[in-house]
Amino acid sequence: MLNKLKSVRVMLVAGLVLSLLFSAVQIYQKTKYWGFSWTPKQKTPVWTIEAHVSFEPTGDPIKVSVARPSPSKDFKLLDEDVVAPKYKVEMNEKEVLLTSSPKKSNQDVYYRVLLYDNVDGSGKTTADKPKKVVKPVLDEQARDVAMEILESAKQQEGDPVQQIIRLLNQNPQDQTVMAFMPERPTSKETAQTIIDLLALKDISARMVRGVKLQEGRKTFTPDVMIEAYVDKVWKTYDIVSGKKGLPGNFIIFQRGSNFLVDVAGGINSNIKYSVMRSLSSSFKMAAHRAKYSNQDTSFKYSIYSLPLNQQNALKWLMIFPLAILVVVIMRNVIGISTMGTFTPMLISMSLVETGFFAGLACFVLLTGIGVAIRAALSKLNLLLVPRISAVVVFVILIMQIFAVIGYNWHLSIASSALFFPIIITAWIIERASIIWEEESFKAAAKQVIFSLLVAIITYFVIVNETIRHIMFAFNELNLVILFIIMLLGTYTGYRLTELKRFSPLAKAKK
Amino acid sequence: MFDWFKNFASPSSLHAAGVLGMNARNYDIIAANNKRRLYPLVDDKVITKNLARKIGINTPNLIGVISTQNQVSNFLQMVGDYKEFVIKPAHGSGGKGVLVIKSYNETTFVTASEKMLSYNEVYQHISNILSGLYSLGGQYDVALLEEMVHFSNQFSDYSFQGIPDVRVIVYQGFPAMAMMRLATRESGGRANLHQGAVGVGLDIKTGKAIAAVQHNKPIFFHPDTNADLMQLQVPFWREHLEIAVKGYEMTKLGYLGADIVLDKFRGPMMLELNARPGLAIQIANNRGIDNVLKEIKNNYPKNLNYEERLDFVLGVAK
Repeated sequence: MLNKLKSVRVMLVAGLVLSLLFSAVQIYQKTKYWGFSWTPKQKTPVWTIEAHVSFEPTGDPIKVSVARPSPSKDFKLLDEDVVAPKYKVEMNEKEVLLTSSPKKSNQDVYYRVLLYDNVDGSGKTTADKPKKVVKPVLDEQARDVAMEILESAKQQEGDPVQQIIRLLNQNPQDQTVMAFMPERPTSKETAQTIIDLLALKDISARMVRGVKLQEGRKTFTPDVMIEAYVDKVWKTYDIVSGKKGLPGNFIIFQRGSNFLVDVAGGINSNIKYSVMRSLSSSFKMAAHRAKYSNQDTSFKYSIYSLPLNQQNALKWLMIFPLAILVVVIMRNVIGISTMGTFTPMLISMSLVETGFFAGLACFVLLTGIGVAIRAALSKLNLLLVPRISAVVVFVILIMQIFAVIGYNWHLSIASSALFFPIIITAWIIERASIIWEEESFKAAAKQVIFSLLVAIITYFVIVNETIRHIMFAFNELNLVILFIIMLLGTYTGYRLTELKRFSPLAKAKK
Repeated sequence: MFDWFKNFASPSSLHAAGVLGMNARNYDIIAANNKRRLYPLVDDKVITKNLARKIGINTPNLIGVISTQNQVSNFLQMVGDYKEFVIKPAHGSGGKGVLVIKSYNETTFVTASEKMLSYNEVYQHISNILSGLYSLGGQYDVALLEEMVHFSNQFSDYSFQGIPDVRVIVYQGFPAMAMMRLATRESGGRANLHQGAVGVGLDIKTGKAIAAVQHNKPIFFHPDTNADLMQLQVPFWREHLEIAVKGYEMTKLGYLGADIVLDKFRGPMMLELNARPGLAIQIANNRGIDNVLKEIKNNYPKNLNYEERLDFVLGVAK
């Protein structure tokens, strides 16, 4: 028997380990590729960037190319579309091409991309090697000033690139810098100055233009950063603070000397961006994400591709195994005896619907009235089945009355009556009455209180929004719970209550 | 707060004392020794009674069995000339649904605890038994009418109303532990320990009291009669154990509880057998049963007949 117990345990532990491994793989996949999170963040932000290109046609055939966002570590493309009536639209990796026959009036075309948080960090910045550094053409005087700037930059903190950026942004401005730079430079001009100065030091650098995702930004010019080739990798720098690294919310549209927008057959072209943030359900986005990571099939056969109402039903079901685990622990490890094995669990489920205090008060009231009625019924000497049936009908009638009172007097205590399972309530009433008759009121009250206690503990486990989210989003954890429950089936140690019950025996030994 | 923690023993100290816990009882003892298909032999008192008669175990005489609702109205004809009788459910447990009528006429019935019942109330009680009120899982049941036990005067000082009974745990055919349960005022004349009855641990060789508890606490005198519990000695001890050991012979249940009462005229009689006897007997004996069970399993001789096993336990040389 002992050997059999051991082999059963070994088998179950193996099952537990396997289910843990399986869950780990599944959870990794779901968090990495499907965008599931541990917190019940129901929504994923979706960013809409709109590029508005306007120009005056010259009367020649028109060809507009607008830069598309580069793949980014933090964001993925959900959708893109172009609003350009009567244009022929083509797309390649880097740009959108719009071609049209000559036009007369001023033109406005829109290019819109929808991006969402990318939890899959696989998109990497392409690290093509820089071409030979092109030194800026400067007259001798400017050259001297530049050398002077580079010399005094060495006093600044950071790597050579940061030193230059910090010097240029010094406040009040350095005299030599003022001489070298245009007055009130645009960010594009500042970036160009930095690139020129770096070129003199034989460091390749290039301009990076794109859009910073911040809610509600409208018609702004593209944001500029620079990338410098340091230690054989491209590093991104903020041109004001000198801070290294690409901010998570920065979407690169264009690198180097390419234009954000190039218009042939038009003049005075202008590009303006606007950003909008909206929210979309995480589970809805999961399908998109799965598609991107070639996991279409596994997603299709998961519960998250089911219709929403079925998903909601499953979300409710997925919390059951955990509640059952609580009941198993309460009974076999703690050793609390309750009325019926799963009765407390069903009560706690009702409490989730009704709210804690209102539900609890209502339940106590409901069973109290029920026991009183049952006491009256026992005077009639009815047979068992008709009597319990009568109690069921009485429970339904009380629920009706409660619901009406609750509605009219705005009492949530009363109106929560409808959420309690009728048959379970009736049985609790019947059992409590019998224990009262056969043993004592104390014994009956003890049973009811212990059942309620287990129900309350179960309630606090399952009412937690995070736990409910996790059990649904990572439903494979139910497999782990299954094996834990089965392992508890081989637990032959003492129950907590037995440590008290048998304590006189232990003391006698000493 | 810390005082409250002192109420708890450490698992290792209980283990050292050989205390058997509920989980271990269910897993290591009951599941390993009691085959499921044997349960009906003890769960249905009609079957138990028939088996007992075949193997020669004394039980209270069966007056009749009521198995359908329309027979209920005939119960007085069934009882016939008996001056007293007992009604019990065939599938009851822990004394639930047992009604002892010690005197009656056509309309009034007096129970053992001096309660007066009307004919209708007794009728109702039998009817409730049939509809499964006292059976496990609430399935339909039958009611047994039995001769009342005339319990021996030997124990009248030791019990407040009610019938004191002896519980013997039989493990793999050997008597392992025994106790006597005495009713108190608090237990309402019932012999259930958790309702406040007194449990007296008995030496398995002699039937003499070795310890006594009420509500898990050691006591030495009966709370109602003040009798010295340590003077308790069960007479006909070998006969008591013989019934218990024969209970194993007739059911082959490896872990068995036999409930035995002493009748003034007929000697020890088996009331019922239990396939899932509780663990309170350890408290009454002030010792754990696990060591005893291990000793029996590992060191007691095998392949003995019931007389030999009895001799072995009682320490009688062949």
